[in-house]
Amino acid sequence: MKKISYSILSGIILINLLLVSSLFIIKSYGAAEEIDAKFGEAPIIDGVIDDTADEWKKAFKTQLILTDLPIDLWVMQNNLKLFISVQIDLEVEAHNSTEFIGLLISNSSSENQEDFIDAKIVQFSDMQTDEFVYLDYVINNSLFLNDSIYHGEGAGKLNGKVSVYEFSIPINQPLTDGYEEDALLEYGESYSINITFGKTPLYPEGIIKSEIVLINIFKPSEEEQLLIDVILLVLTIIVFSIVGILSGYYIYKLFKLKEKMERLRS
Amino acid sequence: MSKIPKVQTKDQKSKTRRRSEDKFAYRTVVISTVLSLIFFAVSLLFNIGIISIFADINLIFDILDILIKVIAILLFFLFMMISIGNYKEMTGKPLGWKELLLLFILSIGQTLLNYIVFISTFIGLLLILVYLYLVQEI
Repeated sequence: MKKISYSILSGIILINLLLVSSLFIIKSYGAAEEIDAKFGEAPIIDGVIDDTADEWKKAFKTQLILTDLPIDLWVMQNNLKLFISVQIDLEVEAHNSTEFIGLLISNSSSENQEDFIDAKIVQFSDMQTDEFVYLDYVINNSLFLNDSIYHGEGAGKLNGKVSVYEFSIPINQPLTDGYEEDALLEYGESYSINITFGKTPLYPEGIIKSEIVLINIFKPSEEEQLLIDVILLVLTIIVFSIVGILSGYYIYKLFKLKEKMERLRS
Repeated sequence: MSKIPKVQTKDQKSKTRRRSEDKFAYRTVVISTVLSLIFFAVSLLFNIGIISIFADINLIFDILDILIKVIAILLFFLFMMISIGNYKEMTGKPLGWKELLLLFILSIGQTLLNYIVFISTFIGLLLILVYLYLVQEI
């Protein structure tokens, strides 16, 4: 009888663990990957990831394939800016000295081509000497037109065989000072961003690889809310686990009671 | 000669009755436990969000989702309380406030992810407790 009780108890605990473990399966979203921008300290936009200063430490980190080119994508935000870093790990000879990474930003979560109205590009003019330019374009009917005022920052650098691109894009800017030429990023909204790669400084003709991601931008207070949500989820899982374990123990006690009753009868 | 067998028969009868009462009480405990565990499983699936078939479609489905969550917890609480109460009675002890409080906390603890479910369940649990208290008093 004891053996049966232990089996039932182990069974209940196992079922509990299986159900809880299913919570950690990541949800996936069709064509574009959905990314929650994590809050973190602003990195210096210089094309260098300074590990000693814990730069990009809190960023959301993922791997993407731009058509057939694997890249590392890091996304982070603070109260003022959205930060995006793209890293391409290739053999030194595989890098092109005039390669570029561009972020084509939609004015919403829409992935329609006409909704990508803003482009921020880091264009190497000579990768070996780390010469690059940061470009800010407004896209009008697939035409890339220079912004009258550049907003945001961008930088690139070849570190060994990894080319590192860093971008910062302002959040919640008023529709003045030339911002009407940009996609305005607002708190609590989601934006489709087309990450593009090319080898020649021609836009859009030079774009040879790309992938769209959906980035969620949060209000500063939502950071705390996310933390509270995680704490509550953990607490709830603990409560369910306790109920599961206590139920197992209770069933064991019921078996013991039955045994006792049978013993008293005989 | 005639008295002894009569007493024995009465004893046997009362023993048989007690046995059948015990059997019945035990069966009630088991059935209540099984039912409470079924509702616990439903609560686990809906309250943690493993199943969210009704959520975020429209208001009616949202209400349905909340109702399932709340009712599952309330029925879990009710059947588990019946089960523990009967179990305690069989072992010759009354159901104490400590067990009741633990059950209350473990039931309300299942609702932490949704404040509407939390408030509704809290009110529901209080109503059940008040009802049972009044029934006992009567």
